[in-house]
Amino acid sequence: MLARCPNCRNTFSTERAGRQECPACGKPLVVPEPPAAPAPGVDVAPEQGTPWEHRKELGLWRAWTQTLSLALLEPARLFASARIDRTSDHLSFAVLTTSVFWAIGQILERAMLSGQREQMRRLLGAISENPDVSSMMQKMIDTQAAANSWPVVIGLSLLTPIFSFIFVYLNAAVTHAFALLLGQSKRGFPATFTVCCYACAPLVLMAVPACGSIVGVVWLVVLTGIGLKEAHRISTGGAAATVLTPYVAMCCLIFVVAAGMAMVFRNLMARQ
Amino acid sequence: MIARAGAPSIHAVGLAAAASALLAAAAIVPLDAPFLFCPFRAATGLPCLTCGCTHAFHFFVRGDFAAALASSPLGALLALVCAVHVVWTLLRLCGLPYAPSVRPTRTLRWTAAAALAANWAFLVLKP
Repeated sequence: MLARCPNCRNTFSTERAGRQECPACGKPLVVPEPPAAPAPGVDVAPEQGTPWEHRKELGLWRAWTQTLSLALLEPARLFASARIDRTSDHLSFAVLTTSVFWAIGQILERAMLSGQREQMRRLLGAISENPDVSSMMQKMIDTQAAANSWPVVIGLSLLTPIFSFIFVYLNAAVTHAFALLLGQSKRGFPATFTVCCYACAPLVLMAVPACGSIVGVVWLVVLTGIGLKEAHRISTGGAAATVLTPYVAMCCLIFVVAAGMAMVFRNLMARQ
Repeated sequence: MIARAGAPSIHAVGLAAAASALLAAAAIVPLDAPFLFCPFRAATGLPCLTCGCTHAFHFFVRGDFAAALASSPLGALLALVCAVHVVWTLLRLCGLPYAPSVRPTRTLRWTAAAALAANWAFLVLKP
């Protein structure tokens, strides 16, 4: 079970309840008894582990497909069952799911959309001949051509596990920063990290060329909101605010600037 | 602020790895690359909350702290936090028994929100 030290606020895993010492700061603390066992007949009991966390018993393929199916179709059930102390399990699910399908998507896009890319390149080339268009367009064409060569595509595909690892941690860090900012972090970074890892499930759509990544990312944001609600045991509004604040804050700030500019403009007009 | 602590958690190590990758990428990224533009700024003419962070990270890693602050104070602060976290995690892995302990109090949250807003105002007003 997971426990949190009231002195140093470190979250740690322990096998027993009762009086013990914090492994981080060494101060004594009392770990409360875990809640009673769930009623029989419930398939996935709260915090009893997701199928991926039981992959040794279920087998890798079955555990992955069951977890994916739960994440896409019954996300609340998946997040309620996830154990936030199984960090390596969460990370392995996210990195495996994201990197494999990201790599497949890159290779498929290179193979299937080369005709459309050529058409786009000609179109951009025609535009770039316009003197009003900056030289940036030409640079973009050159960069795109270089990025679409087979060696670059294969190289990037091989590096996707590293990119996925960095993406998962950065996404969790930003999400948790906003959760802290809004006072919605009730169970610490491990809970946010668990959510961000399982919310990567829709990124299987990155294997679909062109539109797959856009749909996948939108779905990821929705799953993150659902997951934060379950993992941090916060309200729907709090979870939605945490996920959407980076975008909403932007709109709010623009509105403030627009309103301010309108007031200044009105005052100037009134003087004349 | 600084409390006794054991070995760093797996998350601390993971975040340090991600932060060091970010700093390394910032050091080598060419600032005139065509993909380094803000679509939000291109569409509206206004900077986004994180505009200038790539430049700030780039200048910070190369030791040009004044240019980093001028690009984005928030970006420079984030780069500093990343660098401190990487170094501190390495020291903790080597046996340093201390770690920073920050409690997200209401005052701290409001200060962070005000700092975000101030940074954005700086970006808007910057010539």
